[in-house]
Amino acid sequence: MAACLLITLPLEFVLGARVYRRARALLVALLPVVLIFSIWDIVGIVRDHWSYNPRYVTGIRLVFEMPLEELVFFVVIPICGLLTYEAVGSVMAGVRKLRRRGAPATRRVDA
Amino acid sequence: MPEYTVLTVVSVLVVVALELFWWRTGIFRTAQYWLAMAIVFAFQILVDGWLTKLSNPIVIYNPDEMLGVRAPWDIPIEDFGFGFTMVTLTILLWRRRLARDAARAAETAKADR
Repeated sequence: MAACLLITLPLEFVLGARVYRRARALLVALLPVVLIFSIWDIVGIVRDHWSYNPRYVTGIRLVFEMPLEELVFFVVIPICGLLTYEAVGSVMAGVRKLRRRGAPATRRVDA
Repeated sequence: MPEYTVLTVVSVLVVVALELFWWRTGIFRTAQYWLAMAIVFAFQILVDGWLTKLSNPIVIYNPDEMLGVRAPWDIPIEDFGFGFTMVTLTILLWRRRLARDAARAAETAKADR
């Protein structure tokens, strides 16, 4: 999970995703997702859809036996998704700007 | 029907319905969303593939509660619905919040004038 955060971190600065800099909006988007997926995870544990290999989790359990790792997962993955989404957005905007600058002036007159 | 399969299908349908009939942010019509999702899915295969590999799994799935289709590698096919819902819902909530902030800012700007 730390690797996911590290890999996507440059998107914030280099590609101008500006997700962490809008912390309030990030929090508002994140909270319902963390809540819904925590409930889903707990349902999955209680109904025996899945379990965790004790060798690879810390063993720290939160409410209803949900491993700490799952909470981290539900915070990290949505953040990475948003960073990707916003980075794609700013790259696309950059490409559009370049194209406009590169287009011959006459075309703008025609239009 | 296996329960994990049902929950996944329901979650995808709910998110799509939320967007199409209620929130209408329009993201499904943008290249930005689909490009981002393609990138997310590529990375999901790497991370999820590592979490679910049958040779040495971190997450162990009950075969009775899923379809049993595992690809690529040993990723349960349902995981892709799970991931779709998680990331799409986040982007939708994010877009809604930004739109609200922008509307408020415009409102204040109007009041200032």
